[in-house]
Amino acid sequence: MKRLLCLLPLWTACAAALADPPAPRNDWYELSLDELVRVQIPPQADVGSRDGTHSALDAIVPTDVYTAEQLQSVGPGGLAQALAALVPGFNYPRPSIADGTDHAPPFTLRSLNPDQVLVLVNGKRLHQSALLHTNGTIGRGSSGADLNTIPLLAVERVEVLRDGAAAQYGSDAIAGIINIVLKGYGHASQAQLGWGRTTAGDGLQRQAALFHSTPLAGDGFINLTAELRDRGATNRAGPDALDGGRINTHFGDADTQDAVLAWSAEVPRGDTSLYAHGHVNRRNSSAGAFFRRADDERNLPQIYPQGFLPRIEPRITDFAATLGAKGTSDSGTEWDLAYTGGFNEFHFYVANSLNRSLGASSPTAFDSGATSLAQHTLNADLRRNFGPHTLSGGYEYRVENYRIRQGEPASWQLGADSAWYPGAQGFGGFAPENEANAWRRSHALYLDLKYALAPQLVLNAATRAEHYSDFGSTLNGKLALRLRPAEHWLLRTSVSSGFRAPSLAQSHFTSTAMVRDGDDILQYGSYGVDHPVARALGATDLKPENSRHFTLGAVWQPTPQLTASVDGFVTDISDRIMATGYIAGWNLAQLSPQAQAILQQNHVDGATYFTNAVGTRTRGLDLRLDYKQELPQGRRWHVSAAFQHAATRITQVNRAPAVLGVDMTDLILDPYTRVTMESGQPRSAFKLWTQYSTPRYDLAFNLNRFGSYASTYGATEVTFGARWTLDAQFSYHWNKHTTLTVGGTNVLNARPAQWGATDDELTGAGKIIRYSQYAPFGYNGAAYYVRLGVRF
Amino acid sequence: MWRLFRGLAAGVWLWGAAWHAPLAYAIDTQLQLKAVYLGRFASYVQWPQQEASAFDITVLGAHPLGEQLAALYADKRIQGKPVHIRTVSRIEDIGTPEVLFVALPTVAARQAAITYAQRHGILTIGDTKGFAELGGIIQITFVEQNVQIKINYDAAVKTGLHIGAPLLSIATVLRGGQP
Repeated sequence: MKRLLCLLPLWTACAAALADPPAPRNDWYELSLDELVRVQIPPQADVGSRDGTHSALDAIVPTDVYTAEQLQSVGPGGLAQALAALVPGFNYPRPSIADGTDHAPPFTLRSLNPDQVLVLVNGKRLHQSALLHTNGTIGRGSSGADLNTIPLLAVERVEVLRDGAAAQYGSDAIAGIINIVLKGYGHASQAQLGWGRTTAGDGLQRQAALFHSTPLAGDGFINLTAELRDRGATNRAGPDALDGGRINTHFGDADTQDAVLAWSAEVPRGDTSLYAHGHVNRRNSSAGAFFRRADDERNLPQIYPQGFLPRIEPRITDFAATLGAKGTSDSGTEWDLAYTGGFNEFHFYVANSLNRSLGASSPTAFDSGATSLAQHTLNADLRRNFGPHTLSGGYEYRVENYRIRQGEPASWQLGADSAWYPGAQGFGGFAPENEANAWRRSHALYLDLKYALAPQLVLNAATRAEHYSDFGSTLNGKLALRLRPAEHWLLRTSVSSGFRAPSLAQSHFTSTAMVRDGDDILQYGSYGVDHPVARALGATDLKPENSRHFTLGAVWQPTPQLTASVDGFVTDISDRIMATGYIAGWNLAQLSPQAQAILQQNHVDGATYFTNAVGTRTRGLDLRLDYKQELPQGRRWHVSAAFQHAATRITQVNRAPAVLGVDMTDLILDPYTRVTMESGQPRSAFKLWTQYSTPRYDLAFNLNRFGSYASTYGATEVTFGARWTLDAQFSYHWNKHTTLTVGGTNVLNARPAQWGATDDELTGAGKIIRYSQYAPFGYNGAAYYVRLGVRF
Repeated sequence: MWRLFRGLAAGVWLWGAAWHAPLAYAIDTQLQLKAVYLGRFASYVQWPQQEASAFDITVLGAHPLGEQLAALYADKRIQGKPVHIRTVSRIEDIGTPEVLFVALPTVAARQAAITYAQRHGILTIGDTKGFAELGGIIQITFVEQNVQIKINYDAAVKTGLHIGAPLLSIATVLRGGQP
């Protein structure tokens, strides 16, 4: 039955294709005016080339565009969830019991890391989150941008560049670029009210959103979007046999409330336009840590007689603002000056907890401190067309500041009541010695030439030189060619180099705790690379990750309605930055006596720090098929199918610091880390999105196949099988202004494969935690929703 | 692999450099659609007097639309006349076509072209933001893959042109500077 349902979108696609053969392009001339108005142009993209907005199908490098209609058709989640449903290779697992990561889950492209994707908003760099993912999740050791800070209703389209582009856009553009284009002039105002929940009865979602557009003279506009989003927690934890069979753990989505205000404006004045866009997002979130049973050493029964589930409840503030001016000179040179500021603060609070070492006098709620990241960017761009050629260039100045602020004393203190359990249970606070205030400045100069060697052959050459105040200079280049050998064929290839600057968090994140060893107090934890303990243990300033990219592909467009493409790619990355394993004599058998002496002299039990560790090669293939057909009586049918295969393997391992006396493989590449890097994300993904629209209603299906992935149990690799999911949505247009939508995500109630049988009391088939948190579509099961939309 | 690609790229470069075909823009659906619209607009516009034997469309400025228009209307007629496409770079060279597509980079230059066209009874069409508010008669832009047409009715009247109701019905019509 499930397979039959999965075939439904395919069947409707074939039926419609057979019923209505595509019209030749010349038929546009024969269309009536009313029919002509309904003709849509192919999706346009800004990213990938600095020659302005261009057809994504015609792009010199592979680019996908996802329209607001598509993004709104796959469920009530935020932007990240919509992209996970639509973009092959966009991996967005829903980790749980992973500290801060529960509250801002990372996403990845092409099985790489969250920080190896550059996110732009209207072409301007979006700052990353201040959260460094330190737990055992996808994206461990990195920080990524939080897409859910941008309200979906403000978005016109999302462009996904499937190529390395650091030579054009700078750091991070290794796996690709996501450019979020906000609605501009000419969009109708609209309001939405949404409600949904899982079929299990939890995960209640309530959403109210308003997009209001005010047109200004000269096609200027002021657009405001406000959204309130309340998502209840889900819980797929099993009963605890050692706690009377009750469900005492939270394993599922965090309980989050988002309040967002976004804006986008453009005020033309002659040949100059002032523009601005940005957002303010405040998220209050709550999720559980591991449960502490009543008899757990970390519990005090006089405070929690039944045990307790610490709740990590961060308050996340995210702010971004761009202010700029652009125009055209008399000579036709286009210029653009802009400032972009970004700020993200992750303030950790812990509730329903205790500091075991403080005894019965311990508070039960804590302020565990905060991390924050501020980013200020100045851009100056020039562009000039010379016939079919475009020359552009620019300068970028960026300042970044990363801070760690200490928590209240009780959140990190080691009291007299216990030798082992300092700080707040669930999330120990940042201690005063963990505080950081790191700055970095960078300057970049870039040049981009698009040159039509012939009508059928276009060359894009780009180079970018950057200087960072922490690691020095880098120079990268890109060469891309697009050849149109026949009317319906396009061949494209590119080769480029790129880089990712080490994040300030990777360089400076420090989080330590204490244990009492007799009369001595030992420290342990993560140290910034410039911390004396890390330095003594061989840490050095982090170097950038360097990458090389190659793509080769073809596009076939036999009719304006049908486009197919295939692109192969290879991405080599060297000096990938990773956290070391726990450097301690009891953990690393070969640890040198010298290193052990360093630990002892510094009163440190063990330490980790970030280092440039390994090189990888990612190889893959992208297939796309897009078909859109205008049908009589104002009907339209659109189908988009996509497949991606991407496999990463470790190709090179750097030398470990000599002082440690261990091999880098032993220091970093334990089986868990190796499996996570090479197999932790699905190697393949298939998406089939289709929508049938009439003036009265829209019907959309979204079929997904998430490929298999792996994790480890102990040192043993465990593979989780592939799964199919199906989303469906029906929208009824009550009248020109009002639309009622009902839909379901994962309507076949697919669940990810479970862990096998284990002897672990917590994780395993039939245990408290049955699913891997690497599961690419979460583990909530089916959900349904209704949404009322009004245009005005 | 990198060596292979470098060789391939160099070969393609040399091949392209040796190719002496005139430079042109790649096929662009948006341009093709605009070209269709230009002819369609013309079929809903009434000029006070038309004595020329050909229907002239002039593209003013550097814009690839001229090539698309030439390709599309080579064997077609507008208002019963063969279509003659010209591309010029200066206002003095406009002459008196029926349709002027204004593709100049600055507001001042566009304003000058619009003023010239109004004096000579020419239908002005543009795809730049604010073109209709500037006094251009028809503005054609795209939002979310859909066409948006703005018609400055007052400018049309001032130019002495009559625009048919079917065209007005699909457009945002500016009267007295307001939509």
